[in-house]
Amino acid sequence: MSQRRTLGIASLATAAGLALGATFPIASFAQTTYGVAMLSDFSGPYADVMPMLGGGRQAAVDWWNAEVGAKLGVKLNWKNFDTRYDAAQTASLWPGIKSEMKPIAVIGLGGPDVAALGQRLADDGVALFMGTAGYGYAWKPDSWIFNPRPTYGHEQAAAFKWYKAQRGGTAPLKVGIISSEASPAYVDIARGIERYAKDNPSEIQIVEVVFTEVQPTDLTTQVRRLVRGGVEAISVQTNTAAVVATKRALQALGSKVPVFTSSHNGLPASGKAAGGLAQMEGDYEMYGMAVASDDDSPAKRFYEKLNKEYKLNAPWNVLTVMGMAQGMYTVRAIEHAVKKFGAQGLTGAKVRDALFADPITTEETFGTLPTLKFSKEAPFPVEGLKVNIATVKGGKYQIAATGVDVPKVNKW
Amino acid sequence: MDPAGVFAVRYAQDRALIRTPRQWAALALFLAALVLMPLVAGPRLIAVANIMLISAIVVVGLQICNGYAGQVNLGQAAFMGVGAYTAALLAAHTGMSFLLVIPLSGVSAAAFGFVFGLSAARIKGFYLALTTIAAQFIFHFAVLNLPSKWLGGSNGATVPPATLFGYKISTDVGLYFLCLAATVLMVAGAFGIVRSRFGRAFVAVRDDDVAAGIMGINVVATKATAFLVGAFYAGVGGALWAYLLRFVAVDQFTLFNSVFFIAMIIVGGMGSIVGALIGVFVIRLVQEVITSIGPEVAAAFPAVGGDIVFATMNVFLGGIIALFLIVEPKGLMHRWNIMKAGFRLWPFPY
Repeated sequence: MSQRRTLGIASLATAAGLALGATFPIASFAQTTYGVAMLSDFSGPYADVMPMLGGGRQAAVDWWNAEVGAKLGVKLNWKNFDTRYDAAQTASLWPGIKSEMKPIAVIGLGGPDVAALGQRLADDGVALFMGTAGYGYAWKPDSWIFNPRPTYGHEQAAAFKWYKAQRGGTAPLKVGIISSEASPAYVDIARGIERYAKDNPSEIQIVEVVFTEVQPTDLTTQVRRLVRGGVEAISVQTNTAAVVATKRALQALGSKVPVFTSSHNGLPASGKAAGGLAQMEGDYEMYGMAVASDDDSPAKRFYEKLNKEYKLNAPWNVLTVMGMAQGMYTVRAIEHAVKKFGAQGLTGAKVRDALFADPITTEETFGTLPTLKFSKEAPFPVEGLKVNIATVKGGKYQIAATGVDVPKVNKW
Repeated sequence: MDPAGVFAVRYAQDRALIRTPRQWAALALFLAALVLMPLVAGPRLIAVANIMLISAIVVVGLQICNGYAGQVNLGQAAFMGVGAYTAALLAAHTGMSFLLVIPLSGVSAAAFGFVFGLSAARIKGFYLALTTIAAQFIFHFAVLNLPSKWLGGSNGATVPPATLFGYKISTDVGLYFLCLAATVLMVAGAFGIVRSRFGRAFVAVRDDDVAAGIMGINVVATKATAFLVGAFYAGVGGALWAYLLRFVAVDQFTLFNSVFFIAMIIVGGMGSIVGALIGVFVIRLVQEVITSIGPEVAAAFPAVGGDIVFATMNVFLGGIIALFLIVEPKGLMHRWNIMKAGFRLWPFPY
């Protein structure tokens, strides 16, 4: 091949390349990168659940980067930070995270993150996205901390209202609560249900709130008091140990009063601790996100996609769903901000503004969460709240009800 | 032991804590380095320093109570919590200056600690340890069960930022200087206390309370005073903690924190103020280094998985503390003193 011919081919190739490049928008090549900090607990009390929760949220962000962010010209660089579920550790980590990552969103884990950052996020201009239900003590306006679910009190009130309708009749549902004073969060949950009962005496009547040890082994005496008081439902929102102790006591007393649990101490986990899912026959769990049952659902299909294509190794359970849901509403808030303000110059404050501006629909989170409509009134959506309820029937974990309306619960 | 050629010829010289110009120079350089640190250190280091300084005050108080007076105290975190809640209430409801809030928080914690000091008059050892654990639970249940209008109950309490002449001390650097000033003052005070007749009484009671009583020391008052002083320090630390986070909740002051404070004085060395400071520095440093390395290792080796990396780091932290205790059970300060004495005697063996 002559030198002249070689030069000619090279020139043609260069021209073709330039022409091809000019036909695509520049944005498709230029990708703006933003940081998303993930506060995790890999060495504290929640280390055992972190692979599932963390796996879910990481896979959600990876999915968004690949399938949404790439088209928008935005990439989210996530990084885990081990806070040990300790406020002091979070407080010492945060200034470094802020200066090094310049995050536009923080994905948090629990109370210590809220305690350590709650008073400074407004000054720092970064929103904290939690995955759990909300708490009464964090129910303040103009928040920079967000929960995709209402308070545990809200979720429980919805379940009790639903259960009363199932039972029929006009008499209030007689309820017992088993809680613990070991953590302010547990006390807060009980106070929330008490507040709902006080404001709605025709709906539920609290027979007794039993405060016991945080890891009880025998609750026969306490549960006997509840059963004698005629309870029709027992709320245990603390942990699996309390659920197991309550079930053992009910079995010893020959009572079939259903136990109502939450996501963190749900039926599969409590059943496993109690010796099998069949032990939880007729009990319920409820929360404002998808139920990890075997039924086909958009959330399950999304999980399978993440599992196959985005290296999500965690099993299909409530904790993985919680992580996926947390990751999804965070990335969708960022996506809304990109669409509203553009891919360049995005800040935490803009992400927060976008969160208030438009609802995050259930379709956007692949059914892991209901449609979320945030406002400055509370850190969680206060309108259109829904919960899903699961039960064990015939030894099988299944959905009992979906999209159950959450009643109004006043602040306590 | 003094350096060779240094002889005290006056009583004041003999009592002096800093005895040579070189020691003065070293102290001045150290303090200057602390003051200038924000100019060179990044925000992460400043934040770590803030936690270290607050911990230092609390642990120095524990050292006086436990290391000097020999009174086992597993309730230091509760005393810190009392100080934090007092600061939150005073700052939020009275608008009082932090210059008053901090010492008053110490006084409030001291009053709470004094109650447990009185019980130390009758019991000691394991029994006293159990009594001080009760302080943790009393604090916890009192906060949660008193009317929530008083202490906030399960809601916790928010704290307005400290202000000085209209300037809000809410930045990390501002808080660093506040914590540094308080720490320098409290540590200087601690040196004064342990070298006073109170300090000598503490040591006498620690070594043998029966003998101390025969010598004329009021053992009951001494033990109670040790708790009072230790709790005062914890209260001051708690107030600074409240200003740092601007939110206090009962679960920030747990028995686990108290145990960690004990670990710090064990690693640093019992019966030494500097040992307490070294213990805080070493434990916090190891914690922070491991916490910082974890994400980097997890990012560099994604195949290993974050959960395994972080769990390994935690085991490593426990291993380091255990190693310190095995190699030097009397604490790092003891090892430092041996090295210093050896250097001063060199080339002679003793």
